[in-house]
Amino acid sequence: MELKTRQVNDVAVLELEGRFDAHTAAPVRDIFQEITSQEPACIVVNLANVHFVDSTALSALVAGMKRSRQLGGDLRLCNLQPPVRMIFELTRLDRAFEIFTGEAEAVQAFGPQVESR
Amino acid sequence: MLPTILTAQRPHFEALAKAWQSAGAEAFVVIVNGFPLVSWPPYADAEEAVLVENIWAGHKKVGELRVIGLSSAEARAHLQTEARLISSLIQANENLQGVTAQLIDTQDQMLALYDLTQATREYLDLNTVLEQMARETTRLIKVEATFIMVQRPDESWLIKQYPEPILDLVTLEHMLDIVQTTGQDLLLSEEEVESAHTDIRDLLLMPIQIRESGQAALGLVNKIEGDFLSPDIKLARAIAEHAGAQIENALLYQKSLEQTKLQTEMELAQRVQLNLLPRQQPSVVGIDFWAGSRPASQVGGDFYDFLQQEGRPFTFTVGDISGKGLPAALLMSMTRTAIRAKVHDIPVATPEVVVARSNTELYDDFTEVSMFATIFVGQYEPANRQILYANAGHSPVIYCPAGGSARLLEADGTAVGILPTSFSENQRLTFAPGDVLIVATDGLSEAHNTRDEMFGYDRLLRLTESLANESAQAIAESLYQTVNEFSSGKSQDDDQTVMVLKGI
Repeated sequence: MELKTRQVNDVAVLELEGRFDAHTAAPVRDIFQEITSQEPACIVVNLANVHFVDSTALSALVAGMKRSRQLGGDLRLCNLQPPVRMIFELTRLDRAFEIFTGEAEAVQAFGPQVESR
Repeated sequence: MLPTILTAQRPHFEALAKAWQSAGAEAFVVIVNGFPLVSWPPYADAEEAVLVENIWAGHKKVGELRVIGLSSAEARAHLQTEARLISSLIQANENLQGVTAQLIDTQDQMLALYDLTQATREYLDLNTVLEQMARETTRLIKVEATFIMVQRPDESWLIKQYPEPILDLVTLEHMLDIVQTTGQDLLLSEEEVESAHTDIRDLLLMPIQIRESGQAALGLVNKIEGDFLSPDIKLARAIAEHAGAQIENALLYQKSLEQTKLQTEMELAQRVQLNLLPRQQPSVVGIDFWAGSRPASQVGGDFYDFLQQEGRPFTFTVGDISGKGLPAALLMSMTRTAIRAKVHDIPVATPEVVVARSNTELYDDFTEVSMFATIFVGQYEPANRQILYANAGHSPVIYCPAGGSARLLEADGTAVGILPTSFSENQRLTFAPGDVLIVATDGLSEAHNTRDEMFGYDRLLRLTESLANESAQAIAESLYQTVNEFSSGKSQDDDQTVMVLKGI
């Protein structure tokens, strides 16, 4: 799985590509750990090029989300492809995460929160 | 060295003397350090000699040959030849002595290494190997102290100093840095060793090469009697090379030991886990019930359970802990216990209440280890032939009414351990004869084939419809068989659990 990180203002954008599963979740976990080691822990995960997530991948996202919220930030998702969206809906993780259609939208949603810092 | 040759070759020298005497010479004298060592005839006065030739050992004059009573050019040439021959003899003798010394050195070295091997061969534990090695090296190279330091696979240091610790870790690491960067031995005199260690006169440090591992070094402190000379350094180098191989062995052994231990632990975890699953199928009035689980090679976190209690509805549950291995197995048994306790203890333990209370109880623990558990809890109410259920993020759950089409029962709440509050609510389902409810785990729907295609929900739904007339057990077995055939050639990555309820 490919993994790219970018910084948009105070928001860390993570772009993943390929299968996001037990075999590829470890580096993503590490990156979340790094980002959530300081405030503001604002993360957007762009899943535009991810077509499969398994439960280990989901738990990595949940862990990142919990840690960032503990620090007053959040982990938001965008560009969920239909198979991935279905998994989120079936497991009702769509109730736990803030999910956006596009990346810009997801980053912007942090707007007032980030600027107020 | 001339006296040695003279003693060894005395008859030949005597023959030379006789030859000179018969050629008319009065005397033949061998001089060492300016004094006659031997003369023919005895006590001849060599001071009067006219013919004098030097004897050389390399570039150093070691003596003279003198002939008294002759002075011809022919005699001088003769004496010159003899002096040269004796010089060559001395040189050859010296060479021989050098080679012999080297041979002795080598033999000593081999004996020392043999001793070292004998001392360490019985031990496989890295600690003991290093201890023995440090002790033997101290004895073999005749130093006051030896230390061996090895970086373990986890990058921590293992340091053995014999007979007692002399240097602190900071100093050792500093020196090791120098050795590792230059790749060469380090010989430090008293002034060069950190001033804090006043009791150190000299120190020899050399890198130990270990394949596929961190750094290591052998250090020798305070040579007894004299300095570290070439043979000591050579022997130390041989010991360092030998130590490298020994340490490699010990590290490998340790690794395989750890792997075996881990394997045993995993097998134990798997056994414990399998023992937590019910061993018999329950008999429930109005329902044909079958449940089973096929564990993946790695310990997973699937579980299923059911509870039959006097005066309470038949309760069944299927869960899946995210992740694998020991943590998943541990959380699986915690979750199972939490659910059991809730069903058992709460007066009106509807599925919604069981899920909500379990979430409250387990949320912190799950957060701690960054995991979660999808849970399906159902209850059969025979009076009105209905199933009451709550679904916390679990899928796939398939409902197929008799003669109708199969559909997924989607969760309304997130899995346990994700949010502090549970959103799952009680849902109701009519369960008439012929209706089928399948609660499976994603190990089934996410099984992949060799073309990397997923079995998926659609196949599961269609399969359920085609099997709806079968018994619960037959449905489960066909599901397993079909998924098995689909993913043949691929290893089973995840636990596969199937619970089938069929109205009768």
